[in-house]
Amino acid sequence: MFGYVRPRTDRLTEAEQEVYREAYCGLCRALGQQYGFFARFLVNYDMSFLYLLRASMRAPAPVRNCWCPGRVCGKKSCTVDPEGFETVAACTVILCMEKLRDNVCDEGFFRSLPHRFLCLLYRRAYRRAAERLPAFAALTAGQLETLRELERENSPSIDATADSFAKIVAGCGADLEQDSIRRPMEQLLYQIGRFLYLADALDDLREDCKKRAYNPLRFRFSPENGELSQQELAYLTQLTDASVNLAGSALALLPLRANGTLLENTVYLGMPSVFAAVKAHKFRAKAGLLPRGTRRKQTYQMQKGETHERSL
Amino acid sequence: MKDPYEVLGISRTASDSEIKKAYHDLVKKYHPDNYVNNPLADLASEKMKEINEAYDTVTRERPGQRGRQSRPSYQRENDYRSDASYRAESYQSRRDDQGSQSDNHASYTRARAYINASQLDAAESILIHVVNRDAEWYYLKGVIAYRRGWLDLARQNYQTACAMVPGNYEYQNALRSVQSGYTPYRQQNYGASDMDAACDLCNALLCLNCLCGGCR
Repeated sequence: MFGYVRPRTDRLTEAEQEVYREAYCGLCRALGQQYGFFARFLVNYDMSFLYLLRASMRAPAPVRNCWCPGRVCGKKSCTVDPEGFETVAACTVILCMEKLRDNVCDEGFFRSLPHRFLCLLYRRAYRRAAERLPAFAALTAGQLETLRELERENSPSIDATADSFAKIVAGCGADLEQDSIRRPMEQLLYQIGRFLYLADALDDLREDCKKRAYNPLRFRFSPENGELSQQELAYLTQLTDASVNLAGSALALLPLRANGTLLENTVYLGMPSVFAAVKAHKFRAKAGLLPRGTRRKQTYQMQKGETHERSL
Repeated sequence: MKDPYEVLGISRTASDSEIKKAYHDLVKKYHPDNYVNNPLADLASEKMKEINEAYDTVTRERPGQRGRQSRPSYQRENDYRSDASYRAESYQSRRDDQGSQSDNHASYTRARAYINASQLDAAESILIHVVNRDAEWYYLKGVIAYRRGWLDLARQNYQTACAMVPGNYEYQNALRSVQSGYTPYRQQNYGASDMDAACDLCNALLCLNCLCGGCR
């Protein structure tokens, strides 16, 4: 995914930072156990948030010291929750694979060779994940096809394009049975999906304008040299703020048993900070397949408890 | 029924002031103002009812508080009607007040009923057939878009409705919900950064004043 959904660590207590790190490492471990070693590279902040969100409605999972490939010797404490990570890990693999396929479609043959190679590498993992969550895999493929159709038409509607992506993210909570939990969860994830799409579109705007590639903001607004005017940026910020508010109002209705502050921090502080960083061209963490060093550096800075802006 | 202390998030040994504080915090969190036009307004309303009942039970159980019903009047559950603005009656009264000559009244009433029942496709299909598109039409299109999460389209429709009938509170309120990016709960708990900046500025000015001999 993108790594846009993350907390403001400077506003978290040590214990909350620890919980977040354990969930991140727990997801990495679960991906490795369920989908092979290379699936560990798909771990990202967005899906760690999804795990914490789903896990916060259940009794806390145990934490154990586990082997970490990022450390030559020594172990890291991570959340051990095979049942809780099962859905999240499958969603991670499906979303990352679809993103790779999307990149293969978007790029020319030679430029897409690395993505083609990664598609081959993860094909087994994807098959296994799609067997676990067939409805989600079908939803993702269908919505991305709709999105490609809109891109081919050069759709100027940021709502229609963001809707396709947001529906995919909302699908990560569609398996919940209880209506009073599923509805807020879907609204929360839908608005987060919308936020992700708009933040990514703004982040890519310069490059897309240069390449003359499709970007909904190019057709909705009138960017000059890949830059939106102050008014347009203010308008876009209000739209993402409205998404944050709707996500927050949905979060308040979930019966959280733990991690309430951490989740509220991510929605109310983390997401607006990330968007501010994207606006200022300070956000460079791209896609789920981050270079290993980049991701480690970010994690390290998060451990240090530095402010979010600094860590970007 | 849930444990009222659990609903309020307090221990059984909590003092009266702690109970009141917990209750006030929850009311701010689930206040209907935070859920205007929100598709989850019904769940927030249920939650509000649960909180009010829990508060009543807890205060009744407290020693020396027999028969006491001291919940502040602005927090009565009757005050919290979810999406009251969608009710056909309110539309009727507003229409009468404004003396509108709209022929689309029946269509709008039906569209509002569908919106209330979360049948957004049915509401939209009714609006498609309306020929004379007035402010109410744009407002209802905006509500449908907002409920779907299509905030750009919702905002454009709300703006058109407000431009056509500038003095309408309902349209303005709806526009504010997509325009300002503000909710009271968020402002109270997570909007402190601006305030911090203001305080920093005040502190800096105070220090400057002292350094310049203002504290003699």
